[in-house]
Amino acid sequence: MRIAQLIVLSAALASVSCTAHAQGKPAPKDALLYFVWPQDGATIKGGFWCRFGLRNMGVTHAGDDFQNSGHHHLLVDVNEPLDLNEPIPQDKTHLHFGAGQTEARIDLPPGKHTLQLVLGDAKHYPFNPPVVSDKITIRIK
Amino acid sequence: MAEIRDIKSGRSNERPREATPRRLAAIVAGDISGYSRLMQLDEEGTHARVKRIERDVIEPSIGEHHGRLVKTTGDGFIAIFDSPVEAVRFGIVIQQNMVGRNASLPKHHWIEFRIGVNLGDVIIEADDVYGDGVNIASRLEGIADPGQIYISSGIYEQVKHKLVCGYEALGDRKVKNITEPVRVYRVLADSAAFHEHRRRRENILIFLLSLTLLAIASGALWYVLLQPYGKLEKQASAPVSPPVEIPNVPSSQAPAAKQAALPLPSSAPVPLNPQAAPQTQAAPSAAPAIKPATPQPQSASSATPAAQPVSAVREPEMTPIRGGSFIMGSNDDVTEKPTHQVTIKPFAIGKYPTTIREWNECVAAKACGFVATGKDDAPVTNVSWSDAKQFVAWLAGATRKAYRLPSEAEWEYAARGGTQTKYWWGDQFEPGIANCKNCTDIAATEQPIKVGSFKPNPFGLYEMGGGVDQWVEDCWHKNYQGAPADGSPWLKGECPSHVIRSGSWKNDARYVRPSSRDSYDTNVRYPTHGFRVALSP
Repeated sequence: MRIAQLIVLSAALASVSCTAHAQGKPAPKDALLYFVWPQDGATIKGGFWCRFGLRNMGVTHAGDDFQNSGHHHLLVDVNEPLDLNEPIPQDKTHLHFGAGQTEARIDLPPGKHTLQLVLGDAKHYPFNPPVVSDKITIRIK
Repeated sequence: MAEIRDIKSGRSNERPREATPRRLAAIVAGDISGYSRLMQLDEEGTHARVKRIERDVIEPSIGEHHGRLVKTTGDGFIAIFDSPVEAVRFGIVIQQNMVGRNASLPKHHWIEFRIGVNLGDVIIEADDVYGDGVNIASRLEGIADPGQIYISSGIYEQVKHKLVCGYEALGDRKVKNITEPVRVYRVLADSAAFHEHRRRRENILIFLLSLTLLAIASGALWYVLLQPYGKLEKQASAPVSPPVEIPNVPSSQAPAAKQAALPLPSSAPVPLNPQAAPQTQAAPSAAPAIKPATPQPQSASSATPAAQPVSAVREPEMTPIRGGSFIMGSNDDVTEKPTHQVTIKPFAIGKYPTTIREWNECVAAKACGFVATGKDDAPVTNVSWSDAKQFVAWLAGATRKAYRLPSEAEWEYAARGGTQTKYWWGDQFEPGIANCKNCTDIAATEQPIKVGSFKPNPFGLYEMGGGVDQWVEDCWHKNYQGAPADGSPWLKGECPSHVIRSGSWKNDARYVRPSSRDSYDTNVRYPTHGFRVALSP
């Protein structure tokens, strides 16, 4: 009886960890990605310096395969869900900071915009579990 | 006004040396703690790492924060900034960067900077700065703990309300050869939090993880033992880590180990393209300190057949382009404005993007950095601008011809193929003409598909728009304000990123337009980035 229970348990554990399998590198559970600036709901006049905050992980150059480190990506007005099995896209709404930048000058047209940070590994894949910030909304005057 | 002039002239009579320029500046002094110890451990390796850090981290960051690198010593540097806020930010960027770089190394190999920042009136000369202010900055650096930034009260007063991070007052400190004590503050950026957290939690984490891992491993063992033997053999490649080893696995590697310890299902995600394929990392990441940065070399032999040793370099197929004038840019995007007339001199441009076969010839000649994997006639991808420059430099040297990257203006002129419409085939988008997202029915696993798979433009050029992104020579500028009109590359300004053109199979139809432009970090590789070569007559 006990053996049967163990089998069930191990099978359950196996399926859990297998469904979580993705391309990206593992990330520490307490990794925290956040906006130092701007804050959610901020109204900003013109261009601004966007500052990226990261706790319990390090920032490094894209391509450098160090444990517990990655580089920033800023998603501007992106609504599609993040695909964990693809590199983070590269276009005008997915800004890459592969040189290890922790801040960027951002110019957006007036109006409402959403911003979200995603940490990418050496090969630009999201981490597993993904290290993402809250999606914030700002208004450009 | 008159008075001031009097004072000045009066003084300058007394002291002719007043001419040396003085100014107020935020001085940042940094040095590597335990440099001589590191040099003793591994002289060449440490030297190379320090140089790399200087080149990749310190110099670009100084530029980004509008500072100036005054000098570097063997193990340190002195930089000046106009703004104290920028100076402290720069310090934080350096320290955060180093945390990332050190994370995978054993502690005695860490390169850690001590940084001191002071505000002072200094004398600036071409290659050095002098004055009390500099001395205090380097004394602050001297008393700072490794990985820390110490700032003087002058700096603190300027940054305390402007920089969102903690400051710990360390009181008045007497520093060597400076008579008055200096009030010192320690900057508490994220990197500090990172280390403290780690130290505190490491033990608990390792304990908890080893417990769970043991549970999982024993569960997995039960699971495996109950499988029929035939199945077991099939799974032999998925290693079952012996439970004895598990408690030694560092905390961060645990999730990977967890995956490896369990039999992997066949439903692992399909690799997306040949470049991405070698990254699949279920099993290897269980071994500590693995660096799979370079792709597997086994395809090198297939890419450069040993049967026919290449004596002369095979040159890319080039298409001559007659010179002419055109209107560059468009009103479709802010980066493409203002439209402006550009005159192009005659040149030649690659008929196709550079292929994997061509790239690997450069690799075989030991002039390019990494072996590209994939079909020989597919465009090479995952190259940075610097990689592309290496390739054209090698090609030019090997052929003794002026091969180079095209300028942005040349690229657009060639891509338009003599048209001024939105796309080279007209103003309306048509599916099936270019390789972009949702424009074709090519399977994701086939991408990037071989060169020449789509219709050429009126100049006979293939894949000028869609396919792979293509690096050009120009530095990135956010619009055409001040762009050259003679077709030459626009290289003015700091150049942390360069221009990419064409859009890739992963971008939508908007990126296929010949005027569409985007930028990317100069030294960073990305799986959709390739290039094509140009040739001066």
